[in-house]
Amino acid sequence: MIIENIADAFAHILHAKTLLLMAVGVAGGLIAGAIPGFTIAMAVVLTLPFTFSMPPEQGLATMISVFVGGLSGGLMAGVLTGIPGTPSSVATTFDGFPMARGGRPGLALGLGVWSSFTGGMISAVLLVTLAPQLARVGLEFQPWDYFMLVMFALTITASLAGADLIKGLIAGALGLLVRTVGEDEAAGIPRFDFGSEVLLQGFDFIAVLIGLFAFSQLLNDVRDPKAARTSLSEKGTMDARIEHLAAIKTLIKHWSVALRGALIGTFTGILPGAGGSVANILAYDQAKKTSKNPKEFGKGSPEGIIAPESSNNATEGGALITMMALGIPGDVTTAVMLGALLIHDVVPSPSFIAEQPVLAYSIFISFFLATIMMVIVQSGMLRVFVLVTRVRMYILTGVILGFCGIGVFAINNVDLDLWTLFWFGVLGFLMRHFGFPLAPMILGVVLGNIAELNLARALAIDSDLTHFVTRPWSLFFLIIALFSAVFPWFQSVRGKQKWTLFYLPGVCFAASVPLFMMGGIPRPIIACVLIAVGLWVLYRRWRNGWVLEAYEGHEIKEG
Amino acid sequence: MERLNRDTIVAVFLLLFCGVMFWASFDIREPDYGMLPPSAWPRVILTLTSFLSVIYLVRSLSRGPDGPGAYPGEPKSLLGWIAYWRNPIACFALFAGYLSAIPWFGMLISGIAFVFCLLTFLGGWSSRRLLLHAAVAIIAVGGMWSIFTYGLRVLLPTGEWTGI
Repeated sequence: MIIENIADAFAHILHAKTLLLMAVGVAGGLIAGAIPGFTIAMAVVLTLPFTFSMPPEQGLATMISVFVGGLSGGLMAGVLTGIPGTPSSVATTFDGFPMARGGRPGLALGLGVWSSFTGGMISAVLLVTLAPQLARVGLEFQPWDYFMLVMFALTITASLAGADLIKGLIAGALGLLVRTVGEDEAAGIPRFDFGSEVLLQGFDFIAVLIGLFAFSQLLNDVRDPKAARTSLSEKGTMDARIEHLAAIKTLIKHWSVALRGALIGTFTGILPGAGGSVANILAYDQAKKTSKNPKEFGKGSPEGIIAPESSNNATEGGALITMMALGIPGDVTTAVMLGALLIHDVVPSPSFIAEQPVLAYSIFISFFLATIMMVIVQSGMLRVFVLVTRVRMYILTGVILGFCGIGVFAINNVDLDLWTLFWFGVLGFLMRHFGFPLAPMILGVVLGNIAELNLARALAIDSDLTHFVTRPWSLFFLIIALFSAVFPWFQSVRGKQKWTLFYLPGVCFAASVPLFMMGGIPRPIIACVLIAVGLWVLYRRWRNGWVLEAYEGHEIKEG
Repeated sequence: MERLNRDTIVAVFLLLFCGVMFWASFDIREPDYGMLPPSAWPRVILTLTSFLSVIYLVRSLSRGPDGPGAYPGEPKSLLGWIAYWRNPIACFALFAGYLSAIPWFGMLISGIAFVFCLLTFLGGWSSRRLLLHAAVAIIAVGGMWSIFTYGLRVLLPTGEWTGI
C-alpha cells in the first residue's frame, strides 16, 4: 500500500508539466528572494491563484518550489550587494558580503548554495521521518487539546513576531474576529453582517491574506518616492561564477556547522510563528559560539555563511512537519499552503497523512526535488537573477498590484473579493504603520474557524471547562503558551533581572507535569529528563552565585 | 489632551471598535440547539481584545506624549502629511478607481489603465518613461489576463461598454 501511494505520488510529480512548473517556481522564488523588499511569503501568496485549476499535488509542488527557491534567493543579493534579499538571509550577509568583497564571491555563493542544499535535504529527511510520528501523536488530540494548540500557536507567533507582545496578541485576536464575520459554520446563523449581503458571505480568507500581506507591503515599499524609483541592488559585483568544488570541500570540512544549522532550522520551523528570519540568526550565533575562530566571524568566515544558509532552508521542512502532522501552519507561507489545501477541500489534520497519503508523499517528493532543482537553476541563471534585482521598485509594485486584482478575482469569480483585497490592504498598511505585526493576524484568520469548531465540539461533548486544564495535552499547550507569552519580557530583561535565571528551569518543571500525566513509558522519561535539565541549570547558577550573565544576541524581526 | 500619543489614539479607536462589535453581537440570533451559541466565540474574542486594548491604552498613557523626534521625517501639517504619504494614497485611490471601472471597461482594459497610471504617477512622465510604462502595463496585464483566460480557463469580468 505504501509503495503504491509513493508510486502514485511520483507519477504526479514526475509529470512533465509538474516538473516544468516546479522549475518555473524555483526560478520565480529565486528572483523573489533576490529582490530586497520582496518577501518569500509574498511570492508564495502570489503563486496561489495560479494553482486553483491545478490538481492539489501539482499546485502544492509549485508552491513548495517557490518557497525553496525564495529561501535560497536571498543569499544572492546578500552576498553580492550586501543587502539581504529576505530576512531569512540577514546573517548570511555578515560574512557573505565581506568574503565577496575580499575577492571570493564565487566561493561565498557556492557555500551559500550548497549549504542551502544540505539544510534542505536534512530537513526533508526529518520531514519524511518526523511528520508521520508527530501525526500519530496528533491523533491523540481531542477538541480541548486542539483548541489549546491553536491558542499556543497564536501566542507564540505574537511573542516572536514583533517587539510588542500586546500588539501581537491584539493582531491575533483581530484575525480570529475577521473569521467570525458571515454565517456561523456550525449553525449557519448570520454574524456581524449589519444587514449587508456582502458581509453575510464573509471574507474570503485568501483575499484577506493577499490584502493584508502583499498589498500592504508593496505600498510600504513605495512610500518614499525617491526610493521607489531606484532599485535596491545597484551596487556590488556582477561577474561571479559559483565555485562548486571549492565550496563542497569547505562544506565537508565544516559538516558539523551545516548539520547543527539544519537541526536548528528544522526545529525552529516546527514552532508556529518562528521561521527562517529567526533560525538564521540563531544558527549564526551558535556557529560563532562553538567556532575555533570566532574572531573571523564578520570578516568572511565560511562558517558564518554555512550556518545561516543551512538553517534557513531547513525551516521549511520544519514548518511542513507541523502543517502536515497537526494541521497548524508553522509560518505565513505554510498558512498560505494550508489555504491552498482548503481550496481543494483537503483539510489538514493529524489524520491528513493517513487519509491523503498520495498528497502527503507528493509534498515529500516535491520538497526533495525542489531542493535539487534550486542548485541547478541557481547555478545556471545567476547572472539573470542579479539583473532582475535591478528592476525599479515602482515597476514591480505596479505590475504586482495589477496581478493581485486578476489573481484574487480568480479565486471565486466574485467582484466582492477584490474589495476585500482593497480594504484589507488598507488595514494591513495601517497596522504596519502603527507597529502591529501581521503574522499573528494572518494565523488568526487561518486558524479562527479551527479554534471555534473545536471549542464547539469540546463543549458539545462536555460543558465542563476544567477539561482544558485537566487533560494532559491541553495543559501542556496551555503551559507553553503562558511561557511563550512571557518570552518577550524575559528576552528584554535577560541578564538584568534575577527572575530570568529561573525562566528555563521553570519551563522544564512546568512542562514535565502534563508529560507525567500522559502516562506510558517514553513521556515520563522525557519528563524526568526535563526535570534533570532544570535542576542542572539551577545547580550551575547556584554555583555561580546566582550571578546574572550578560547576554549578547542579535535582534530578531518579523519575516 | 497633552498626555495623548499615537498609541493612545489607536487604543481608544480599538476600544470603540470593540464596543460597536459587542453591541452588534447582541443582534446575533440564538438557536435552540448546540452547546456553543453563535455569539459566544465572537464575544470571547472581543472580551480578550478589549482587555488587551485597555492594557495598551494604560501603557500608552503612562508613556506620555510623543516627543518631537518620535516619528522622524513625518510632517505635522495636513499638506505635509499628504505629500509624505502621497504614493500610498495614490495607489489606494487608483486601485479603488480600477475596481470601480471593471464593470464598465472589463478587467483587461481597466487593469492596463491602472498599471499604466500607477507607474506613471510613481515613476514620472518623460516621453521615454511613458513608452516604457505603456509597454510594461500591456505586457504584464495582457500576459496575466491571457494566462488566466486561455490557460487556466477563468472567466474574468468583461466590461459593459467594451465587451472584453
